[in-house]
Amino acid sequence: MVTYSGKAKDVIALNDKEVQINFRDSISAFDGVKKEELAEKGIINCLTSVKLFEILDKYGFKTHFISKISDSKLLCKKVTILPIEVVCRNISAGSFCKRYGFEEGIRFEQPLIEFFVKDDEHHDPLITESVAVQMKFITENEAILMEAITRAVNEVLIKIFDLISLQLVDFKLEFGRTTEGQLLLADEISADTMRLWEKKTGEKKDKDRYRQDLGDVIVHYKDILERLNSIQKLPDYKPLSTVQVIIKLRKSVLDPAGEVTFHSLSRKGFKRIESVRLGKSAEIAFNAVPSSVLQSEIEEISEKILSNPLIEDFELKIRHHSEKSEKEHFQEK
Amino acid sequence: MRIGVTKFPGTNNEQDVIRALNSLNVKGELIYPWENKKLEDLNALVIAGGFSYGDYLRPGGIAAQSPVAEKLIDFEESGKFIIGICNGFQILCETKILPGVLTTNLSTKFICKWINIKTESTHSPLLQNLAPIIRIPIAHYEGRYYDDSNGIKKIISDDSVAFCYCDEYGEITQESNPNGSLENIAGLVNAKGNILGMMPHPERASFSYLGSNLGRQIFVNLIEEIKC
Repeated sequence: MVTYSGKAKDVIALNDKEVQINFRDSISAFDGVKKEELAEKGIINCLTSVKLFEILDKYGFKTHFISKISDSKLLCKKVTILPIEVVCRNISAGSFCKRYGFEEGIRFEQPLIEFFVKDDEHHDPLITESVAVQMKFITENEAILMEAITRAVNEVLIKIFDLISLQLVDFKLEFGRTTEGQLLLADEISADTMRLWEKKTGEKKDKDRYRQDLGDVIVHYKDILERLNSIQKLPDYKPLSTVQVIIKLRKSVLDPAGEVTFHSLSRKGFKRIESVRLGKSAEIAFNAVPSSVLQSEIEEISEKILSNPLIEDFELKIRHHSEKSEKEHFQEK
Repeated sequence: MRIGVTKFPGTNNEQDVIRALNSLNVKGELIYPWENKKLEDLNALVIAGGFSYGDYLRPGGIAAQSPVAEKLIDFEESGKFIIGICNGFQILCETKILPGVLTTNLSTKFICKWINIKTESTHSPLLQNLAPIIRIPIAHYEGRYYDDSNGIKKIISDDSVAFCYCDEYGEITQESNPNGSLENIAGLVNAKGNILGMMPHPERASFSYLGSNLGRQIFVNLIEEIKC
């Protein structure tokens, strides 16, 4: 029994924990206005997703993928798909250019992260993080984690595709929430959900071939899969996630040091200050990619050691540092 | 009889404790943070004062994560005695062996002076035969005892208040509270009576030439109790 039928996949609930995802040969664009059936497309996207999920898994990312049932069917963990998808852009293309009128091919100094609402009726509109949180599409914690994970996935995928002479222009990620609240990479990761250009020629290898009627869609999709399968050894990647833990005295607890600072500031003539509370901040770096598991670990550290829950509260800010930006950071010093 | 005295980096009262024990014919032995296995052979442990690990994070916060501290619960459960003095009291609270927390003095000053305390709880053998009013020094920046209102209620109903700050006549007054501790709490004892934590320094009030010997009885009680 098909529980959910999307534009290119069907989802069948198997039990409380698992689903089967069937990849169909349908391809569509422009919110389903343009659609077609392309032979082999289901199998190719399924196998590409398997390959990329397996690669991401090796680097420590948590995904919904469990195993392959057949070439077009996957066994996956059952998750609630979040209504927000995350796009990461290295080079300008697609809706980004259309929205702002920028030309295609601008290389961004830092990858851009955009959130979109999954809503065909409103053409998957761009949404700010604060609106997404305010409207309860996702929690603030999830928003931070989704961005951090996406940045880390970008770094890995850039390296992978670079090995096979492809340039990662942009990609989209979907996330799912397990019943335990764990955030997993979900849906598919294939030429349908990313833009890839031939490094030497700039030739388009992805779904833009279909959108822009460039032809040979399946030939190029197949080529990407073959190149991925030809990778012998995965590139080295040293992840670096940092978390800032801010430890504050609880409101109900007197803060004598804050009081003294307050009086000193008042004496200096800063009359509009209402109160001062002093706290602590810890910046912890992890050699791991961001994940819910890492986040739970950080919470445990913060609650059991970094703070004393009797008198202190804490707040977490998890970030992912790219290897590049970290190097630059050190050079600045 | 073997009584251990902890020595974390930054502990600075261990020799004073050892001197007090020596004067009672007990050789105190130093226990370093990694010597958790030694605890099994000890009859009692004194967690001496100072600034373990520079009081980084919170006073006693890092020491509470050390191998020795991990074994303190077993030690407590076996019924052996622990006396935590000053930073030792802070460590006992950080390990949750005693309830509550010690935080910044209300005055935001480091306070080093002689004060008076009186015994409140009577059930622990460590608190027997003490002078009605004990003149004893304190030396701390973070000695203000705090717990939430339920915690304080439980401490009082459990008869866990070992010492209260008081004036020279034994009156528990606001003026005699040096650091703003809730209920003038200067020390706690657990329900079983084998764990005592206190901010004042009994080892510095163990010889009349120091200005008071009224703290000495606590060590006398400890040794007597181990002998029994």
